[in-house]
Amino acid sequence: MAQALLEQIINGTMMGSIYMLVALGMVLIYGVMHVLNFAHGVLFMVGGYVCHFFFTQVLDSYLLAILGSMAVLSVIGLALERGVFRRLRDNLRMQVIASLGLILVIQNGVIAIWGPNALQMRITTTDIRVPIGELSFTLQHFLIIGTVGVTVTAIWLFLTRTRIGTALRATSQNAEAAQVVGIDANRMYVASFLIGCALAALGGALLGPLFLIFPTMGDLPLLKGLAAIIIGGMGSIPGAIIGGLGIGIVEAVSTLYIPTDFRDTVVFAALIAVLLLRPQGLFGVRVRGEA
Amino acid sequence: MTTMKQITTRATAVAALAALAAMPAFGVSGAMAQETVTLGIVTAQTGPLAAPGRFQMNGFDLAVQAINEAGGFEVDGETYMLDLQVYDTRCNAAEGASAMQRLATVDQVPVVLGELCSPVAAAEAPIAADFGVPLVLTVPTAPNLTEQGNEWLFRVNPNNFQLNEALAAFVAENGWSPLSFIAWNNDAGRGGVNGMRELLPDDVEFGYVGYFNVGEVDFSSHIANIRNEGSEAIMLLMDEEPGALAIRQIRDAGLDAQLVGTLAMGSSRFLDRLNAEYLDGMAQYNAFPPNAPIPRIEEFSALYEAAYGEESHGFAAQSYDGIFVVIAAMQAAGTVSDSAAIRDALAEISWDGVIGPIMFNENNQAEPPVYITQWCDDGTRRILFPDDLAADCGFG
Repeated sequence: MAQALLEQIINGTMMGSIYMLVALGMVLIYGVMHVLNFAHGVLFMVGGYVCHFFFTQVLDSYLLAILGSMAVLSVIGLALERGVFRRLRDNLRMQVIASLGLILVIQNGVIAIWGPNALQMRITTTDIRVPIGELSFTLQHFLIIGTVGVTVTAIWLFLTRTRIGTALRATSQNAEAAQVVGIDANRMYVASFLIGCALAALGGALLGPLFLIFPTMGDLPLLKGLAAIIIGGMGSIPGAIIGGLGIGIVEAVSTLYIPTDFRDTVVFAALIAVLLLRPQGLFGVRVRGEA
Repeated sequence: MTTMKQITTRATAVAALAALAAMPAFGVSGAMAQETVTLGIVTAQTGPLAAPGRFQMNGFDLAVQAINEAGGFEVDGETYMLDLQVYDTRCNAAEGASAMQRLATVDQVPVVLGELCSPVAAAEAPIAADFGVPLVLTVPTAPNLTEQGNEWLFRVNPNNFQLNEALAAFVAENGWSPLSFIAWNNDAGRGGVNGMRELLPDDVEFGYVGYFNVGEVDFSSHIANIRNEGSEAIMLLMDEEPGALAIRQIRDAGLDAQLVGTLAMGSSRFLDRLNAEYLDGMAQYNAFPPNAPIPRIEEFSALYEAAYGEESHGFAAQSYDGIFVVIAAMQAAGTVSDSAAIRDALAEISWDGVIGPIMFNENNQAEPPVYITQWCDDGTRRILFPDDLAADCGFG
């Protein structure tokens, strides 16, 4: 049983790292712009497709393909912020509807370009097996965990140690007060969308080689990412990190004790419990006037 | 959304040969066809099961091509060309029901063939009965489909019970115990597990049984549980795409248990998704081993490969036979439009198809032969069962 537990902790940490990336991207956009971008899952999926395209058709280098995918998704993020969300800035309801509409547009656009069938992306260098006792994992598992660890640390340092990061946090806390002290809110909105989309692309590009790349590959990470930021606390970056990782590990370990097809039930039962006991989430701050 | 597709003629030399071969069977003497009979087709052409849906559609297309290249088919002294009205049901029950109703009421086809997915076929079958249109299934395997007393529903392909019966005997003979399962969380997966429970002798112990939903790609939880159970063999009740992913993850996780699969895992396309090392020794049931040294299979495989440039597939062979069975029933009934008469003729039909002899039992279920094939270390397959059709590596 100890061996199975170790196996599931490693598997859960890997999937939790992916949920963490999705949650972090969503929470950055939500924190700064107060937009809950439901299209984040399809952007994650597009990241996988673009990485596959660069890797198989252009660059033949996984690292460059990941960077290429992040760059392309940043441009897409810029276009979405400028073309859709900026125009709907004062209408939260319309922003949510627009993000739901984007799911259909982007998902069907991908099917039109790449077709409905799943794509494989075999990376021979990360496909090798790493034995741990009687267990075995692909190097890609540890690449995901390591890359996400480094990325999250870099984002944390960026937000806490740089002027733009500080400006982002200031806009997140109070946009009007930030503007009073000379912070350009529009630039901050663009920056948060750029970073959020790049993180989505990174997630899709990292998960693609391990599983498959297909039009609905972002649905589950979106759902779990959303659960992570609600459990962690809306707008809280530590909450998104702990929430994402926690969901990954809890759902993986739970399958050793309950039927595997019930693992989502465990996650959403935890979500309901947190909402009942601590509505602002584990790391969220209760705001006066809110329930 | 439904899509309609008019079948277009693909003129190939091989199709012409097939057409010539088909001529005596259909009694065409070179007269020009005067009218066209349109059959309804329901299948998944998009969505997560678009890939197997394509094999099914290729079989239908190939049959239509062969019949039309031969100058059509003759019924009661009249010669007819064949056409298909195709609806894409995307493996969605609501879309399948809607398509079936449209084929019966708007298109008014005499017979409908197809369906890829058992739950969709279950939604279409009552509509076929309500409107009195025979529905001939060529791929769905859920046994209960033909156990509902629906006299308008026929099935050409073997069902899960028939497929499992052969496999259960093979598993018991090899003493693979405990046997674990990873299965689709639907009728086909759960039905398959229940079927094996009924068929396997008591000395074969059941290990872990896990279900996954369509679209899930992470099998790590199942693998940890299977390892924890110390299973000797793992049965994968799923399609080609998740099957390839599951096998890759099982082997990458260092689990060397015997793998047992379905007919979706016995094709060269499946090998392309993995490699010979991952598949070596895996056994699977099969309704159509495409390389078997059996003349009817050799002929069809050559025809299919020439038309589509790939190894033939059981879904295509079953669907090809489905069209010919329907035409034979029309000829026996002496009508191309009286659905009730065609249904009665189908119930009595005896057709020597590509997949073997096709005759419907009291539940309108055909009983073609079932095979067990096994992957060899060089990426080819061999036939292990039935004994009289056993063949070595390269002929499975």
